[in-house]
Amino acid sequence: MITILMLIIQVILVLLIAPFVTGLIRWFKARLQGRQGASPLLMYFALLTTLKKEHVISASRSWMFRFVPFMVLGVAVFLALSLPLVFSDGGIAHVDLFVLAGVLALSSVFLVFGGLDAATAFGGMGASREMTLAALIEPAVLTTFAAFATVAGSASVQSLFGQGMTALTHPALLLSFSALILITLAENARYPVDNPATHLELTMVHEAMVLEYSGPYLAMLEYASSIKLTVFLLVLGNLVWIKPEMYLDAPTIGLGVLGVLVSVCVGSFVLALLESSMAKMRFFRMQEYMSIAFFLALSGLILILVV
Amino acid sequence: MYILKLLRTLFLGPRVTEKMSSFSASDETLESAGKELKEIIDSLYAGRSLRIRAVDGGSTNAEEIELTALGNAYYDIERFGLSFVASPRHADMLFVTGPVTRNLETAVRTTYEAAPQPCIVVAVGDGACTGGIWKDSYAVVGAVENVIPVHLKIPGDPPSPTQMLEALTGALKKHS
Amino acid sequence: MLWLSENILFASLLFTVLSGVIALGGRALVFHKLSQILLVVSGILGLSASFKIFLAPERGLQILVEFAEFSPVFQLDLFGAIFFSLISFVSILCAIYARPYVRSYQETYHVPSLNALVAAFVLGMQIVILSHSTLAFMTGWEVMSIASFFLVLSDRSQSAIRAALLYLVMTHLGAAALLAAFLLLSQGSLFIDFSTLASMAWIAPSWLLWTCFGLFFFGFGSKAGIAPFHVWLPEAHPAAPSHISAFMSGVMLKVAIYGFLRVLLFILPPIGTGASLVVLGVGLLTALYGVLYAVVDRDFKRTLAFSSIENIGLIFAMIGMAFFAADRGLDGLYQTAIVAAVFFTIAHALFKTGLFLVSGVVVRAVHTRNIEMMGGLAKRLPGLSISFCVLALAAASLPPFGPFFGEWIFFQGLLQSFSTTSPLVSAVLIFTFALLALVGGLAIFAMVKLFALSMLAEPRGKEVHELPASGELLSIGVCAVAVLVLGIYAPTVLTLIGGVSLTASPVELAVGSATIQPSLILWLLIGCVFLVWVGRRLVSRVEHEREYHGWDCGQPINASMEYTATAFSAPIRFFFRLILRTKKQIETRPVAATNPWIVSHTSTLNLRSIWMDYGYIPAGRFLLGTAQHVKRIQSGNVRFYLLLIFVTLILTLWIAL
Repeated sequence: MITILMLIIQVILVLLIAPFVTGLIRWFKARLQGRQGASPLLMYFALLTTLKKEHVISASRSWMFRFVPFMVLGVAVFLALSLPLVFSDGGIAHVDLFVLAGVLALSSVFLVFGGLDAATAFGGMGASREMTLAALIEPAVLTTFAAFATVAGSASVQSLFGQGMTALTHPALLLSFSALILITLAENARYPVDNPATHLELTMVHEAMVLEYSGPYLAMLEYASSIKLTVFLLVLGNLVWIKPEMYLDAPTIGLGVLGVLVSVCVGSFVLALLESSMAKMRFFRMQEYMSIAFFLALSGLILILVV
Repeated sequence: MYILKLLRTLFLGPRVTEKMSSFSASDETLESAGKELKEIIDSLYAGRSLRIRAVDGGSTNAEEIELTALGNAYYDIERFGLSFVASPRHADMLFVTGPVTRNLETAVRTTYEAAPQPCIVVAVGDGACTGGIWKDSYAVVGAVENVIPVHLKIPGDPPSPTQMLEALTGALKKHS
Repeated sequence: MLWLSENILFASLLFTVLSGVIALGGRALVFHKLSQILLVVSGILGLSASFKIFLAPERGLQILVEFAEFSPVFQLDLFGAIFFSLISFVSILCAIYARPYVRSYQETYHVPSLNALVAAFVLGMQIVILSHSTLAFMTGWEVMSIASFFLVLSDRSQSAIRAALLYLVMTHLGAAALLAAFLLLSQGSLFIDFSTLASMAWIAPSWLLWTCFGLFFFGFGSKAGIAPFHVWLPEAHPAAPSHISAFMSGVMLKVAIYGFLRVLLFILPPIGTGASLVVLGVGLLTALYGVLYAVVDRDFKRTLAFSSIENIGLIFAMIGMAFFAADRGLDGLYQTAIVAAVFFTIAHALFKTGLFLVSGVVVRAVHTRNIEMMGGLAKRLPGLSISFCVLALAAASLPPFGPFFGEWIFFQGLLQSFSTTSPLVSAVLIFTFALLALVGGLAIFAMVKLFALSMLAEPRGKEVHELPASGELLSIGVCAVAVLVLGIYAPTVLTLIGGVSLTASPVELAVGSATIQPSLILWLLIGCVFLVWVGRRLVSRVEHEREYHGWDCGQPINASMEYTATAFSAPIRFFFRLILRTKKQIETRPVAATNPWIVSHTSTLNLRSIWMDYGYIPAGRFLLGTAQHVKRIQSGNVRFYLLLIFVTLILTLWIAL
């Protein structure tokens, strides 16, 4: 009972703060560019505004076009539900890291379907790039997850973040932790893999696939990428400091919520700082990025086995 | 540590961005904002977050340069909740520039059709408002009004970023 | 009871034969129909006999015991039943599919002989599974090979004949290797059953075992399509009619795996580290090679064929890893890897059969196998596209479908053995893990390309011509449901095939300490999507949809602006150009003599096969070159020939004495 209650708290909390995280990163970035920037809460209004608008649907689409937003947002909710993000023993047992990697790939695949179904050149271009990134980041994801699982003694999501296992208490994890940062950047279409703020179709990856979506579908896709980013930031945060074990009283819940807020604030700041201090890589140099992520993950795994 | 100094300047130092109050709307622009525009803006959460798609209807590019300037640190259009997007499907607002030439008439109409309703159309610059110096030429259709319905006109050849912000903040009832 | 099920098994074989005989009755459609119905009956009987064994695995079935003096005894044990049930299941589906499918091609194919050959093909595979003696095994193997050879050239086109001949050569080299291995082991006796063979193998010297292992590996490997003996596979599968491709890829490759496992598990003594590393290495190489070509190829059925090569590589890697683990004393990993290999084999049979059946419908609908000319089918054939989507996601090993759990078991097995052994063993495990992860990622790419480019968006070439018949859609749909069911009921399936140790409860998979609940994952996913659907209804009341053409910067767009398969896979082609070595040529020809700027450009992109270019073709050239030199001996001078005979005689005597 308490588990279900805590799960509901976690899902609601993550779903609520997700747009704030995207807004916060934009605000930090604006500040780092010397601009005043929009309020971090703007993303909520952006989503609400989009929800009010009609759908304009590409005449070339099939049933897949309508199904994609539901699937992508569904997978994002799945992530928010199954990982222990707020409390160290939250999340759903019986879901392990390999399943998680598979589900992440599933969301990329459906996004790609959506991009291709609109029958435009931009959609196809974005889809091709996204699929390449998703395919080549897969070995790094699995290897990093394997490294964490080796330390935790099990690949279950619960034992991974539940043992009070952090990159600080297990220095051997530092390499895998860095690999996870690279994966976070690639999975969430951030610098140097993709430019989330670009208006130029030729440089787009993620954005190019959603060019055809409008109205509530667009809101769903944008919300999904916010949730995904939030979840990744929280996972990274979980690996730096310890979360409270779940217990139904005000201080525990307060501590959990506080942890989440600190995680996303610090995470957004670091992400904004990273994005402001480096240039986007040329797409055809992505193999270097992916190889770095992969070998970082592999050395992390080997380091853990050796130590 | 240079980076820390830089961060301190950026986060705690004085803002380069001009104060919002300096773009106080003149009565003239408020008048031009019609009833329909008010309805649209009211339905879209008072226009707190609007996304703009810029359409070139055959302008001299003078307007485009000024539009680009809107994004810089001095004017920073983003703090008004306005941002430029890459697809009319995402847009709540269309900025149309130039006296719509015959060649670009289809493009302007297509963009309007491709944008989901409700959508605010802003004619930027004299060319877009009236046809400007090309008015009645055989090569242009004339003002944007002749092609698609226009909700807001920002005159000027080209209008300065300040003028544009004044018109927009006025129409969107921005208070800050 | 036992008597009944043995008769059922016998009846299954009998009905297969009957199906072939009836098919030869004539060109009238009634014979075609009857033949397919008999094949379905045979499949149902075979399935029920197999299930009898699944439910009571301790007692096998034996048929033809009373004729033991004249004919070999056919028996079915649990291991054989797994594969026998696959053959039966796929032949039911293919027969249902073939009834409308072959009818629509009755001008192209000679229907009576096609159906008779299909029956012979199925019979051959059934005999291979049932036989436990060398002679019967090789007979079944040959019947299977010859029948499939004729099936490959059934459309009698020039390219099909070339493909079939290549297949014939490769498969008979393999068969020769198998025969040699069996004869070496049994010291020249063909009439020997496998249990006697096993006892002889245990006392055989190690050089003999090594030779036999090598021959078996080549024999079964060339049939299964491991690199570098796979060259026939991407030629033969596309050339055959689609339900034959489904048979070949879905079950014939599995029969080769069955043979390899049968020999390794039941006949040969445990192979050492070296041999298992060879199997593992070749498996990994095959998987990587297959998946890269599956990503870049532009032919619908060739992509599927390359994907089969990849999956076979994966299965061989699992087998190699199992024996490596056994040799190193990692019993947990041994068991896990073997079960994973068998489970993945079952999954592959289901989804690859489905995909090849889809390919038949798609190719007939658009009159081309070229993915560049496809697209837009999902709008016209929504039912087909949903099944295809499920099958493609399954083939990409994504949750919650069957193949994913096969890979999950293997990955978990590897993961839990990482830290328990010597550094060298750990290195092998990590290397395997990392490479399979890369292959898994690229497999997703290949399947997404196949599905999205052929089904979604606007048609790039012709519109849909022929709509699929209900029988065809039924078979494909059953395959799609089967991979899903295989995923959700993975623990049950594992219990049936003897992998009870990998289940924690009837609904949970467990490898060591790790458990997952496949059905829970499915319901969670469905639940989340449903939650989103409800949320969207609650939050936004916007229902109005306006249809408008796609956005391409203000210009009306058409299908020629869409991304093509070549463009879609361009990044992978670029990133792996050192391996793929695609050749891009731009030819410029002046059009007008007066103006040098008016030219016509022709761009060609050649996908090359590195094995062909650097292996088979140079070898063939070397052989021909040598033959040219040897030809000089053939001078036509009788005295010279006499001298040659004399020298040969001397040499022979010298060696013999």
